[in-house]
Amino acid sequence: MTNKISRRNLLAGAVSAGLAAGSMTVAPAQAQQRSTETKLPDVWGQDFLYQWSPPANLKRDLTPGNSPLRLSHIQMTSAEGTDYGALFKRMRDDGWTACEVGSAQWLSRKLKDSDVREIKTQLKAHDVNFYGIHCAGNIIAPDPEAEQWQRHIIDAVHSADEMGCQLILTHVGSMYPNRNTPHPQNWSKEAWTRSVNALKRICKDTAGSKVEIAIEPVNSEAINNPWAQVRLKEDVGDPRIMSGLDITNMVHPGVAFRMTEFTNLVFDLLQDQIAYIHAKDFVWNGMMAGLNWSMNATGNMDYETFLVRISRLKRPTNVLVEFLTTEGEYQQAKRNMRAVAEKVGAKIL
Amino acid sequence: MTKCLVMMVAMTLFGLPAFSIAAQDFSGSWVRDNVKSDPAPNMYWLTREPNSGGAGGTGRAGGGGGRGAPAPIVMTVQHDANSLTVTSPSGAVQKYTLDGKPFSKLTDTGMAKAVINASTQGGTIVITTTQPWGGMPGNASLEIREVWSLSADGKVLTVTAHHNAPARQNIYITIYNKR
Repeated sequence: MTNKISRRNLLAGAVSAGLAAGSMTVAPAQAQQRSTETKLPDVWGQDFLYQWSPPANLKRDLTPGNSPLRLSHIQMTSAEGTDYGALFKRMRDDGWTACEVGSAQWLSRKLKDSDVREIKTQLKAHDVNFYGIHCAGNIIAPDPEAEQWQRHIIDAVHSADEMGCQLILTHVGSMYPNRNTPHPQNWSKEAWTRSVNALKRICKDTAGSKVEIAIEPVNSEAINNPWAQVRLKEDVGDPRIMSGLDITNMVHPGVAFRMTEFTNLVFDLLQDQIAYIHAKDFVWNGMMAGLNWSMNATGNMDYETFLVRISRLKRPTNVLVEFLTTEGEYQQAKRNMRAVAEKVGAKIL
Repeated sequence: MTKCLVMMVAMTLFGLPAFSIAAQDFSGSWVRDNVKSDPAPNMYWLTREPNSGGAGGTGRAGGGGGRGAPAPIVMTVQHDANSLTVTSPSGAVQKYTLDGKPFSKLTDTGMAKAVINASTQGGTIVITTTQPWGGMPGNASLEIREVWSLSADGKVLTVTAHHNAPARQNIYITIYNKR
């Protein structure tokens, strides 16, 4: 089966800027191994125009799985003098049972062996899972920044090893120095090759480590869709390459109102390649294609399907609640998510 | 004197409320009092400043036009013993049977269901609507409990809307003056 790209699909992709051209132009030999196009299925057949509205009476399978999930918050730090017992107790008291940390702060101070022991002791005592170091990296930036970022990520892998973290999470970035600025060539073959080569180098320089290298998609970056995430793991060829799942980072207008289907599609494609999850929500509330962040479980995301699919993953997963502004909003998001989880029978530790 | 006093107390406690309940009729054209009312709740719960141009941000459609004072926001109500029919300022018509029995309808998005229950309680009308937030499937549940009450002279309608979601609870009061 060939990977057909109709003019309609190509136009929709171009307008919405959602699907990476790199992942759509698949080499024929590889395309034969792939049975699906890089888009949601048509709702009204191929003769219709944009298929941005959801099918009527869409049935949702809300059967939960058995994997519990942990809600995570960014409160971790390597700051000298931190009382880790108090920090993790506060997390637990507030309902957070996992945490990740930003790499810039974390790596800014070399921890003593006694610090590492104390952190591990307190994590265990309070049953908090410190699973990952988040590197806001740009490993395909113009040189020499790409080199600096790759070294930074390699340092983060070694630190994660030392701490017993499951993973580091990062991004491939943009071909501009600022990874948040989309470069016109981010979805070119060159960007793809730079992404693959950068990750191969990171894997090689951290060979022997069990720390997973999870790549988070972002709309404006070279990796911005689930098909690219699958392909990236294949092309790098290292089992430690995993996926971060941040569905809202992959949303474009063409799927903004088809989130139940898109959520299912993403989980079907990535399955247990998913190493961690970020939970946000969004609305499309303007004339331009700019989407805006909203309170979790009040926007376009289908949180029932989202939480159910997380609970069906084979290994328990940490879910970082973000992109909110105040601590009060984090508490509100947590209440919404726990209420939805309770309704559908997904277990939150 | 004592007998008269007792009668006055009885009238106050029983007679007048009974009279006012019987006289409650919410029918009429009602003009929103924008000064005395709370701002209408936003359709969206944004957590960051909107980055889009155009009509985004407030979630409110339409408006008062580009010049002069905004057009009055008028709601029309037909009320009898068993039903309430409300024509919204945008022209949408919703009929409620005041029997306290729940019924369901599609939300404005066409993607989820709302469960509605309307009844007369004393001198008020209570309408409870439960639906996923924003009418989008899979969201946290939002219950909106509206209590409609009239002033003693029947010229002012107060709609007190209790918005209850897991994350937060809010009360919005809207005042309408009879046209």
